[in-house]
Amino acid sequence: MGDYYDIDDILAEEDFVPVQFHKAVNGVKIDESSERGFVEQDSKAELPFWLARGLHLQQAISIKVPACFNRNTRLEIEADAGSVDLRSRCSYFYEFGCKVAPYCDKSIGLLVSYAFKARYKEVLYKSHTKAFAAASKIMTFLTKEETNLYEAAQSSMAAFRKWRMGGPRLQRASILGRKRKPAE
Amino acid sequence: MAGQSGSQLSLFTPDEVEFVAEDELVEIVPNLRMDSLNFICGDYGPFYPQIAIQVPLWLALALKKRGKCTIRPPQWMSIENLTQVLEGERESHAFQTLPFHYVEISRLLFDRARDDIPDVYMVRSLVEDIRDVRFHKVETNLENFTNSSLVLQWKNMAAMEVNIIRAFSGRALQAFYRHENEQAVPDLDRTQDRQPQNLNDRPRVCRSFCCIPIFPLHHWIDKIVFISCLLDYCPTIVFLWRAYCLFVVPLQRNLRPR
Repeated sequence: MGDYYDIDDILAEEDFVPVQFHKAVNGVKIDESSERGFVEQDSKAELPFWLARGLHLQQAISIKVPACFNRNTRLEIEADAGSVDLRSRCSYFYEFGCKVAPYCDKSIGLLVSYAFKARYKEVLYKSHTKAFAAASKIMTFLTKEETNLYEAAQSSMAAFRKWRMGGPRLQRASILGRKRKPAE
Repeated sequence: MAGQSGSQLSLFTPDEVEFVAEDELVEIVPNLRMDSLNFICGDYGPFYPQIAIQVPLWLALALKKRGKCTIRPPQWMSIENLTQVLEGERESHAFQTLPFHYVEISRLLFDRARDDIPDVYMVRSLVEDIRDVRFHKVETNLENFTNSSLVLQWKNMAAMEVNIIRAFSGRALQAFYRHENEQAVPDLDRTQDRQPQNLNDRPRVCRSFCCIPIFPLHHWIDKIVFISCLLDYCPTIVFLWRAYCLFVVPLQRNLRPR
């Protein structure tokens, strides 16, 4: 619960997790398909994570493994982590995994850190070189947090190159360049 | 990688690093007579024609611009020394000993005092080669971040090289630390986690980040949640407000496609 007001934290908790209700809940309507406002015991639904966590503390539900950490993803990550398209599965893969791991499956934490290490090795540490900037298709694979890292590297490299090229130390403000029109 | 509200990292632009580099002392040979200059950083002078004197680089460049002196290139900038350094860089994995600001000093001298350096093209190409080899080493070292150590020590890195990878490596280290921590200590009982986290065991790089709190003012209900948190209310109230938003206010929500 580090940053309550961090926008990335809020967005990471928006993802849905499959849950199973232990108690019957009255007066709520989770699926649009169900006509009655009633949820039976042992029924399954998908709730956003921030809600699921609160209900879990009330011991009303049990949280299952979300779809983005299922077996398919695990196999793909073990095969070749650098080319797995994590953004389409879950933009906040790492953060979401860290939050979900204590509630359903501890091995998600290992999966997340393994995925990050592997992707760092293959993808991210190369983001400084110029040749890599041409392979911008990699950007579509990265999650939000990896994109942060990538852009930090790119911008600092670009700033360095711009500095090396030289240029005037004093820059004329662009607003001075325009000629004034006569006020009618 | 949580907590990367990192647009506010303490970063330096290359121009700022260059500004700091201009404090280094260089030797000049003035061609004027002047009384000593008394600055906050020290006293320089008096200046006599043809007598060498040590001044900061910014002062040397200012005098050079007005044609009042010639700058002597520093010791390390001779062709023999640079060739030696280049060979050393190519042979070993460690960084050779070079002045901390060698990139900036060499660039400034090439730009402003080109005629004072003998064999300027040779010197320039040597410096560029050294820079390339060193940066390549930096990148190779970056690959080894996966060792879970909180402190990395690379000796003899130059200021500009450090500056280039400062943002990236800071965030990467923070992310690695987060993942190691999550594995080691998963805390299940979140209701007790109301105290501010103990920052003493975090790596040093985290403490200079300043997180700007962003609260969703666009929704007045969340404002109430924010105020209730501010007043240290029980988290159950916070949770009840959020449940209220979801269940009582009818929401048209489509399930996210997998």
